[in-house]
Amino acid sequence: MAEQTSPPTAHHVGRAQLLVCAGTGCVSGRSLKVREALLEEIDKRGLKDEVKIVATGCQGFCAQGPIMIFQPDGIFYQKLKPEDVPLLVEEHLIKGRPVEKFMYVPSAGEPPIPKLSDIDFFNKQRLIVLRNRGLIDPEKIDEYIGREGYQALAKVLASMTPEEVIDEMTRSGLRGRGGAGFPTGVKWGFTRKAPGDDKCIICNADEGDPGAFMDRSIIESDPFSVLEGMAIGAYAIGASHGYVYIREEYPLAMERLHIAIDQAREYGLLGEDIFGCGLNFDISVFRGAGAFVCGEETSLISSLEGRMPEPRVRPPFPAQSGVWNMPTNINNVETWANVPVIMRRGAEWFSSIGTDTSKGTKVFSVVGNVNNTGLVEVPMGTTLREIVFGIGGGIPNGRKFKAVQTGGPSGGCIPASLLDLTIDYERLGEVGSIMGSGGLIVMDERTCMVDVARYFLEFLVDESCGKCTPCREGVAQMHGILERICAGQGRDDDIEMLIELAEYVKDSSLCALGGTAPNPVLSTLKYFRDEYTAHIADGKCPAGVCKALIQYSISADACKGCTKCARVCPVGAITGAKKQPHTLDRSKCIKCGACYESCSFDAVLVE
Amino acid sequence: MARIGVFVCWCGSNIAETVDSPAVAAYARTLPSVVVARDYRYTCSEPGQRMITDAIREYGLTGVLVASCSPRMHEATFRKTAATVGLNPYMLEMANIREHCSWVHTDREKATAKAKDLVRLMVEKLRRNRPLAPIVVPVTQRVMVVGAGIAGIQVALDVAAAGYEVVLVERKPSIGGHMAQLDETFPTLDCSQCILTPRMVDIMQSDKIKLYTYAEVESVDGYIGNFNVKVRKKARSVDVDKCTGCGDCFNNCMSRNKISVPERVSVAESMDQEMKNTLDVILEPATGEHGMLISVLQDIQKKYNYLPPDALRYTSERLNVPLSRTYGLARFYNSFSLTPRGKNLVRVCMGTACHVKGAGLILQALERLLDVKAGETTEDGDFTLEPVRCLGCCGLAPVMTINDDLYGAVTQAKLPKILERYRKQAPAAVTPGGTDQTAPSDVMAGETVDA
Repeated sequence: MAEQTSPPTAHHVGRAQLLVCAGTGCVSGRSLKVREALLEEIDKRGLKDEVKIVATGCQGFCAQGPIMIFQPDGIFYQKLKPEDVPLLVEEHLIKGRPVEKFMYVPSAGEPPIPKLSDIDFFNKQRLIVLRNRGLIDPEKIDEYIGREGYQALAKVLASMTPEEVIDEMTRSGLRGRGGAGFPTGVKWGFTRKAPGDDKCIICNADEGDPGAFMDRSIIESDPFSVLEGMAIGAYAIGASHGYVYIREEYPLAMERLHIAIDQAREYGLLGEDIFGCGLNFDISVFRGAGAFVCGEETSLISSLEGRMPEPRVRPPFPAQSGVWNMPTNINNVETWANVPVIMRRGAEWFSSIGTDTSKGTKVFSVVGNVNNTGLVEVPMGTTLREIVFGIGGGIPNGRKFKAVQTGGPSGGCIPASLLDLTIDYERLGEVGSIMGSGGLIVMDERTCMVDVARYFLEFLVDESCGKCTPCREGVAQMHGILERICAGQGRDDDIEMLIELAEYVKDSSLCALGGTAPNPVLSTLKYFRDEYTAHIADGKCPAGVCKALIQYSISADACKGCTKCARVCPVGAITGAKKQPHTLDRSKCIKCGACYESCSFDAVLVE
Repeated sequence: MARIGVFVCWCGSNIAETVDSPAVAAYARTLPSVVVARDYRYTCSEPGQRMITDAIREYGLTGVLVASCSPRMHEATFRKTAATVGLNPYMLEMANIREHCSWVHTDREKATAKAKDLVRLMVEKLRRNRPLAPIVVPVTQRVMVVGAGIAGIQVALDVAAAGYEVVLVERKPSIGGHMAQLDETFPTLDCSQCILTPRMVDIMQSDKIKLYTYAEVESVDGYIGNFNVKVRKKARSVDVDKCTGCGDCFNNCMSRNKISVPERVSVAESMDQEMKNTLDVILEPATGEHGMLISVLQDIQKKYNYLPPDALRYTSERLNVPLSRTYGLARFYNSFSLTPRGKNLVRVCMGTACHVKGAGLILQALERLLDVKAGETTEDGDFTLEPVRCLGCCGLAPVMTINDDLYGAVTQAKLPKILERYRKQAPAAVTPGGTDQTAPSDVMAGETVDA
């Protein structure tokens, strides 16, 4: 740690800068070892004073990790291993020849793309929230300041009244990025106007939606943008204290957040009399303990107060009475990170991006069955097709695109026929999904939509707090029916029963968790009803997922006899001699899918 | 020989829409002792009742079954009707084919079959019925309620409100029972005292209720309407009629054990003293503070790898929070465990991206390899297997972590090798405190381990 907080060598430009990604994904791929190897190698070659190695936050292109960007050339290197470092340094740094074998290849057979700016994944994005990703060391406040950081706060404190700040926010058209999309400026105004001596603001970093990780990534790559946004919010709202409610599952983000807060305090950018303008504002970090319902504002407040995360009846809204009965304003990480840019560049600029009703950009985690998985930021109004096929690079293994799921367990599935949908809050709502926090899970023909609905309901049954009956019992009943359908015991009237229950749960639940819980079922029923009927009437799972309804076999034509499947089979159901087609004994098969996963020749068949 | 008539009602469409009433009547004709069976649109109407009386006379019926609504609705009606033509009213029975059948079913065929079953049951009962004659027995109109918990209190109040005298007996010196010890009640988490205390006051103020506290029922003899109960009032030096419950006597008593108020036993004495000392350090900054409970539990969990029961009790005591709340938090939040975890914590991400990439199969494969179910710990204590909501590394799906090491793009084939690394690890490398669970750096996560 001491080494990392040593004074930056910003004054020294040097010959090259190597930006090594130190986000969770790349770290898991040993990027820190790569960085160490680089330091060692450069030291060995006496280049220590000429080359600077920076550990950056998440670059977003997680699937290709560990990632390194070679500046000033802008060369993008991927999937690096510590043992690759000597070659890389020798070739690129010493001889000036970029190394093709570590470059990004869009698809097999095509030439590699050396420059980051030429890669579709990056050049089709528009970075506002993620403006600093991969460019700064997230553990050094100086680097944030060097990228125009804290200019917005200075401008706000020096030249704007709180009312003007709120007005600016309202005119910018920024809407809550946590999912519901409530106009941020209006929300701030409510809390500002609420009577009360002390007020509180909260950053909701309890990223509960499975399949979304932009909040983690923002905090890991640019924590100061959130802190600055919160300081601006505190000034506008009149709050003296802020909390960041962060998931316990994000240790690296938590660590970086603590470092950032300490540094901001040291620089007088948090604490008393910020910028000498009389603003007193400090931030504490609260570790969540793992409960999806905490994403709901009033539940989060209960949790912060050390209680069961059960939603409260509104009114009173948090803006009137929130944490410890103080007027409280809650925004999510991405919302806060937008604030400094809006204040710096103005509402007009921000509202020129996006659609009529949804302004600015949105960060999506494009994951699942898509080639370029990672975090992307695009203007509102971008089409799904552009995200999945343009940036995401399409579906791997030549499979067919089936649907994208957005909005987490409260959202829905959007089918291929709606690929040209322009994404904003309204359009997603119209097709039966929601924006949510921006998880965008791509599903191919091997994804069973009934199983997806069952999966989300299983999640919700577990995460329902149990306070109100429709959610506690209704969702459990719906889940039971889906379990039955997936087990091949569906009944003729199950679909009608699901729809009926869905309406009850939707109409009568206390909070948004229950109110949106039927969405995964309703949207899959809307677009993929034939899959439900295939399960119920024909006893078939067309995608080959639901265990009770599938059988594995090995195609004698395609099998090359490589023995891989026989070795991975945990029950010895596969037999065959080397280089001879193998056979699968169905009486022994437990349908674990290990053979399917291991086969390189598509010889294992599912039906 | 019984001669039974069966009358199946349509109740307009209430019954007839779901139950084929004529078919039920036809079926009834086939039953033993049934000499006549009819169906009718509204059996309780005047013509409907006349149909019954006519039939009793015409066929000399000894028993009548009306298959219609709940007996609560019309049993009195039909029994009176039957009595007008001289049938013993207790020889009239009802089969409930509305509330118990047509209203709660949608499948006409199955509902009709059930209605037939209900009719057959009641016909068999009727065949065994004997004519009865009402008698009058003098009854002491006083009720004894034993036990003055919330249920006893409510019964006493309800009975008193209906105008009867109540004797309420409670073994303890005070009424209120378990509820007086609770903080909140399931499922609405309403304040338990707010429910209980007004009723306790009502008991005292009711002139219909005679309360015996610190008293026990010794014997109960007699029968309904004429019970003899022996109640032993335990000796005490307090004049209950004058006592206001101020508690001064208890506080001033030289020998407290003579006054019986159940005192809670602190867990501090019985628990492991080393644990107590550790907890004291963790709890010190939280004492008297609001809202620190979750952080405190996280710290305890970090220390012990799970939340030991004594630690929960001691935390509640020190922070003056009801145990119910502490326990509730420990149960609800996913990151807390109430059972000890193994040396290595294997967590499989169940996020959506991981799900569509086969995380379920990975979890099942781990269950097989470790021979445990999800959520359990291996017998040797080496591994605990837990599914987790989402690790937020969706780009690397499917993902799992072992302790602090993250593994992306996991396949079933890779699992045995990954686990092997941790099996070999000396137990000492992983402290139960969980503070420094780094794996040996040369086998960092993500390494290619193609089989």
